Amino acid sequence: MNLSVTGEPEALRSGRGEGANVAEKVLGAQGLVKRFGPVTAVDGVSFEIAAGETFGLLGPNGAGKTTTISMVAGLLVPDAGSVTVAGVPMGGSSVEAKRHIGLVPQDLAIYPDLSARANLEYFGRLQGLRGSTLRQRTAEVLELIGLADRAKEPSKKFSGGMKRRLNIGVGLLHRPTLLILDEPTVGVDPQSRNSILESIEALSVEGMAVLYTTHYMEEAERLCDRIAIIDDGRLQAEGTRDQLIELTGGVDTIRLTGSGSLDAGAAAVEQMPAVRRVVRDHGTLVLTVSNAPTAIAPIVNAATGAGLSLADVEISRPDLESVFLHLTGKALRD
Amino acid sequence: MPRLLVMVGTDLLRHLRNLSALMYAVVVPLALIYVMNLLIGSVDELEINPVTVAVAVPEGDELAAVLPQVLEAAGEGLDLTVRAAPAEEVVGLVDDGSAGVGVVVPEGFGADLVAGAGPQVQVTLADGLGLEGTVVTSIVDGALADLTAGTRTAAAAATLGVPPTELPGIARSLQETTAPVTWREGEAADEQLTLSENIVAGQAGMFLFFTVGFGVLALVEEREQGTLRRLLSMPVRPWTVVAAKALGSFVLGLLSMGVLLTVSSLLFDGVELGSPVAVGVLVVLMVAAATSLTFVVATVARTAEQANIAQSIIAIALGMFGGAFFQLNLSGPLGALLLANPVTAFVRGLGITAGGGGVGDLGVPALVLLGFTAVCLLAAWLLPGRKELL
Ligand SMILES: Nc1ncnc2c1ncn2[C@@H]1O[C@H](COP(=O)(O)OP(=O)(O)OP(=O)(O)O)[C@@H](O)[C@H]1O
Ligand SMILES: [Mg+2]
Repeated sequence: MNLSVTGEPEALRSGRGEGANVAEKVLGAQGLVKRFGPVTAVDGVSFEIAAGETFGLLGPNGAGKTTTISMVAGLLVPDAGSVTVAGVPMGGSSVEAKRHIGLVPQDLAIYPDLSARANLEYFGRLQGLRGSTLRQRTAEVLELIGLADRAKEPSKKFSGGMKRRLNIGVGLLHRPTLLILDEPTVGVDPQSRNSILESIEALSVEGMAVLYTTHYMEEAERLCDRIAIIDDGRLQAEGTRDQLIELTGGVDTIRLTGSGSLDAGAAAVEQMPAVRRVVRDHGTLVLTVSNAPTAIAPIVNAATGAGLSLADVEISRPDLESVFLHLTGKALRD
Repeated sequence: MPRLLVMVGTDLLRHLRNLSALMYAVVVPLALIYVMNLLIGSVDELEINPVTVAVAVPEGDELAAVLPQVLEAAGEGLDLTVRAAPAEEVVGLVDDGSAGVGVVVPEGFGADLVAGAGPQVQVTLADGLGLEGTVVTSIVDGALADLTAGTRTAAAAATLGVPPTELPGIARSLQETTAPVTWREGEAADEQLTLSENIVAGQAGMFLFFTVGFGVLALVEEREQGTLRRLLSMPVRPWTVVAAKALGSFVLGLLSMGVLLTVSSLLFDGVELGSPVAVGVLVVLMVAAATSLTFVVATVARTAEQANIAQSIIAIALGMFGGAFFQLNLSGPLGALLLANPVTAFVRGLGITAGGGGVGDLGVPALVLLGFTAVCLLAAWLLPGRKELL
């Protein structure tokens, strides 16, 4: 993947992250284990989420994301471990902890025969909303998910993306302390997907804590303050995007393509302290460097000085895909 | 509690708006009841006209004397007049129209019977005599069959040392206990339904199983549809979700039963089901039984489709054996099983109310329905299947 060197979206992100670190803990999951017969779907998963923080669970199919979320939401009783939401233990005979969560299940969970509004109102009532509050929140959410003008239509007449948006809307109607989204963009066209991601970003700005599962690393990178990589039911690593990328050794790749003296160019850049390795790939020099953004200018100078006339320079920084590969030896997507 | 009501209310609205629930709950059973009433209507028109039966019985033949008694007994319900006549006049009486049917029992009838010789009884029917002739003939046939069987038993008894003088008594007591036709007047708390009422009761009982299916089986549907996950992530206890479905089924069942029984009473002649309170109690028990059975289906079924198929099969089987289409009389273990059928119990219960019985007279049918409910709830609890709702 190619990242532009200019622009620094991480700056924004880390700013929010710092704020989140001092905020109160909204979710605590401790040593969660769930077995289905011989399969241990979740095997000792622990993490915490603070108010206003968006926490991502990134993992491939069958990694245990939904199972983890089901325990967090009190749908499954863990074989071991515990969950607290807003300081209230989840499970047992009490439903108190459930008041604080809003779940957006991976599979659509709306009534096809009810209109968008009726779906929202029904679930809103079950969440304890009444009267004018219910009406007002329903209107706000319909607006947010862009279905205000289709509110009266039965949801079975909606497009896939609209159904998805309604599915999400139901989850945030009662302004939960913790919004849990299980792969909410699966099977959605790029445009709807973008609008869904924008809504989620807005929620987190409002101070809602978000637990977000996905197997799209782009979504995790874009949305999440912290990310846990899950595979085979275990958390392989957890941290901010940059922290995770450091795990790979933090090495970037620079590809220099051009004509002239490739050998001389290689010899010149090889001497530089930032450069760890140089490989010739046809007409291209592939450099492994420790910090591409600062090293790029001297490298280009050295190469051209040695008689290499450059046609193209390409920088790739490691992404979560490389992190996943590094940690598990597998590709994130099959 | 309010959450329970929110769920029940929304469920009911959805079911009522969904036409198929309405079809199964009211429209189809009413249509069937109507059609079946048309069919039996033609039977009702075949009224049995008053008819005189001239009977000649050899003097001093105690076994033969049973025949006119059987005819007399049948006569109470059938408008039969039994008239004794000398054997040689019987045919003449039929020919000149003063008797519709003539029955001549030959000399030595009793002795032949005991000897196993199979004596003949001569039955003469007037020209143009319809159903009445058939009825009288079948009564005579039935009595003869009973007498033959009875005397054979008695003969067997005789070889075992029963004095021959007691044979006629044995035969008579047999005749009394195995009367071929019994006609009963509607007495208080007697189990008595007209054919029309029987159809109404059976059909209503059968379709109830479809109707309550819409409530509880919606649980299976919600599991499939994913909405159950969402419900259970809300501050709602799992039992509340289950209770809401049960209550929804129950209310749907009550509504459909109420409509069916009321409309049938108004629409069809001769449907009078008796005390509304007693009928109401019976309906409540019946709906509870049907709802609880649906829980067993919901526990075992994996998909909504499976559940619906199972529910339909159960409904039709219970309806059929419960007399929704025809009356079944079985004895032995099968008969006992038949009595455990809630539709049978419901039909019998309505028989009691139609006969003038009150709540206190519902005894056995009420117990059967309560027992059925208890067994089903226990089974739903114990059966391997879904213990976790999801
Ligand atoms: N109800 C269940 N019964 C048996 N096995 C289950 C059940 N639910 C999940 N599993 C198994 O547990 C493992 C984790 O499944 P889970 O649904 O949590 O994965 P996931 O990360 O959500 O995957 P996906 O991205 O495909 O949604 C899988 O091996 C799955 O087959
Ligand atoms: Mg999943």
